[in-house]
Amino acid sequence: MANEDLSLMAHLMRRAGFGATREELEERLAKGYEETVEELLRPDEQEPVDIYEFLRYYQFQWKPGTAGGQGQTGWVWRMVNTDAPLQEKMCLFWHQIFATGVSKVDHYDEITDMIDLFREKGLGKYRDLLVEVARNPAMLFWLDNHENHATAVNENWGRELLELFTMGVGNYTEEDVYECSRAFTGWTMTPKLPRFHMGRWDWYFEFKEDDHDYGEKDFLGHKGNFDGEDVIDIVLAHPATAQFIARHLYSFFVADEVQVPAWQVTPPRDPEAVEVIANALTESDFDMSHALRVLFNSDFFKEARFTKVKNPTEVVVGTVRMAGGVELPGPEIFDWASHITYMGQELLNPPSVEGWHSGVEWVNSGTLMKRANFVSDMMGDLERPGVRDIVERVKDAGASPESVVRACLELLGEVEVKDETMSELVSHAEIEGDLAWDEANETDSARRVSEMLQLIVATREYQFA
Amino acid sequence: MLTKIIGDRVYDFSHVVGGRNEVMGPVSLAPGFDGDMFAVITRIDRTCDVARFKVGNMAGEEEVISRMGERGESPGQFMWPSGIALDPESNVYVTDAWTDRVSVFSRDGDFLRMFGEPGNDSGQFQRPSGIAMDADGDLLVVDTHNHRVQKLTTDGRYISEWGVRGSREGEFDSPWGITTDADGFIYVADHKNHRIQKFDAGGEFVFAFGSHGSGNYELDHPSDVAVDPDGDIYVCDWANHRVQAYDSDCNYLTTFVGDAQDLSKWQIEYVRSNPDVYKARRRVYSLEPEWRFALPTAVAFDALNSRIMVADTQRWRIQIYNKLLDYSDPQFNI
Repeated sequence: MANEDLSLMAHLMRRAGFGATREELEERLAKGYEETVEELLRPDEQEPVDIYEFLRYYQFQWKPGTAGGQGQTGWVWRMVNTDAPLQEKMCLFWHQIFATGVSKVDHYDEITDMIDLFREKGLGKYRDLLVEVARNPAMLFWLDNHENHATAVNENWGRELLELFTMGVGNYTEEDVYECSRAFTGWTMTPKLPRFHMGRWDWYFEFKEDDHDYGEKDFLGHKGNFDGEDVIDIVLAHPATAQFIARHLYSFFVADEVQVPAWQVTPPRDPEAVEVIANALTESDFDMSHALRVLFNSDFFKEARFTKVKNPTEVVVGTVRMAGGVELPGPEIFDWASHITYMGQELLNPPSVEGWHSGVEWVNSGTLMKRANFVSDMMGDLERPGVRDIVERVKDAGASPESVVRACLELLGEVEVKDETMSELVSHAEIEGDLAWDEANETDSARRVSEMLQLIVATREYQFA
Repeated sequence: MLTKIIGDRVYDFSHVVGGRNEVMGPVSLAPGFDGDMFAVITRIDRTCDVARFKVGNMAGEEEVISRMGERGESPGQFMWPSGIALDPESNVYVTDAWTDRVSVFSRDGDFLRMFGEPGNDSGQFQRPSGIAMDADGDLLVVDTHNHRVQKLTTDGRYISEWGVRGSREGEFDSPWGITTDADGFIYVADHKNHRIQKFDAGGEFVFAFGSHGSGNYELDHPSDVAVDPDGDIYVCDWANHRVQAYDSDCNYLTTFVGDAQDLSKWQIEYVRSNPDVYKARRRVYSLEPEWRFALPTAVAFDALNSRIMVADTQRWRIQIYNKLLDYSDPQFNI
């Protein structure tokens, strides 16, 4: 079994999922790379996460309260336990773009409903998703479309639809924003029952005919009595939209781009790759699965190993999945959700409508310490079945310090480190000499392997996906 | 409808006991022998305790009598209180799915003892949940993630057990609620097998009913079961947000979906003292969603008063239906 194949599979699973254990990588390698991509694109074939296993012990996570800031815990539970990791990864991708937050919406359940929508439609046609997002109560409230009336247009949703969700700045005029917004007048939601005397209630989309502007609109060179769906069709047909979504896909799955606001002045890192993805979107009527199939099978993807800084969710969820022992929910789930927040990504509560700034902006002196400490704590816990499994596999790698270091790097997902880092790791391992696995030394050797895992996950290289 | 007539059975909605400060998140119920109700209460902030309260016969009569236990892992505390049962002296037995033990309190709330520890040996538990007392005065504890029922003395001494993980007769997948009937039979909510199983007093399989779904004879993650003195069976059909009733031969009778058209005393106090809440309730198109169950977790039959109690967990209340024994139908063309 060539390590290059394992390395490529580990790369795929870091990007299309949250990493994978050695056992999973070997299982997937037996199926083959392309078949693994196809399997990831068919999440419905996997047994879904039984969210009731989680709700049984944390009933108030059904519709969590705002106070405490932990309404994202159920989603974290799903990400940790899913057998369809790309499906959850796409939820994260869309959440970064359609970045609604509880800081304004004030109802976690409305945003988790939106995450459910991403789970259901995130790998399908973008038009279907976009129409549903435009009708989603969390989004309607987040971007004030419930205040977008025939007689008093509110441009917030209309502007972001063009600026952040489809074409990007520079491809439309202020008049287009206004005309676009007119098409969405009357798209609102039903009044909500108050939460305080018996818990949370749902919002529902409502189209108010008497509040809709039925007049002619002049939008992006098209004239007609457009409604919201017509506007969505027009913007999806605009070539800028495919380019814009393709660049998002590139930045999320291939290599870190500059932040979105800079896209109008900074060309893509790899224009040809973005063009390939954009063409895949256009030729498939914005079928996200098709675009991802093209992306994951491309050379530019396969060659882009360790060119992205892991986002906090990838750090925490990937580590927890690697360490294992999480089949049943426990109080620590809340800690995992909190650690993602501490590392700078409070799920369901992004800092603004732009989502999070990613790439190197994930890392500062504070968040780097949080990353290192969390991952180190997890991988240093020899009670975790995933850590024990790594220790068992290291036993077969040889006794020399260098062979142990190499085995640990491989078993953590074919991690690649610079020569300088390698030298430091080996130097540390050499302090106590060769490892021995006889009964007298087994416990101590396991400790040493665990320490090496902790050192590796604290390296600069491990922060990259 | 508030009154259901099914053959010679009549169920009539009585009232609701609920409130954010008093009954938030009830997850298990045990009717007392003197008309009091004992309920395991959980809250949004993850605190928890057991409330003993008077239910009354109509709205406005409810009253909290005392509270026992609190969140924690020390003696007299619990992290994930899950099931509750009373012995004839009204001592209170509470399972804790996190610490894997059973805590015992007096009816007045004094902590008496505890037993159990994590594991899969006799007398050990993995996430215990439902608990009931059998005709011999012994405890039946649903040992959820060991997929079995253990029979123990009231001081925790192991007597017997049955069940392994599986879906065949007598096997379980993450069972939850448990009850006994007047003849000593035992009923278990076989949670992830989406069925109810009935056993004799020795744990021998008698029958099972239910499969995954949302129709009649179908269940979705049932969480609890109760049986009345006539042998009628009430299933807390958790993920279907309902309670289903079956006769003793497993024939479907009816479905309860929640009928709390009026607020409880404590809810009225809250709404009236918060103008925004008061106005927001008047702004909605319909209050009907308020009537319905939302992930009800427990059902109990209060034989003393012939009534069904449903822990309507997500709505912070207990909904109560009387099973009327002396009902006279009104004139039809009145």
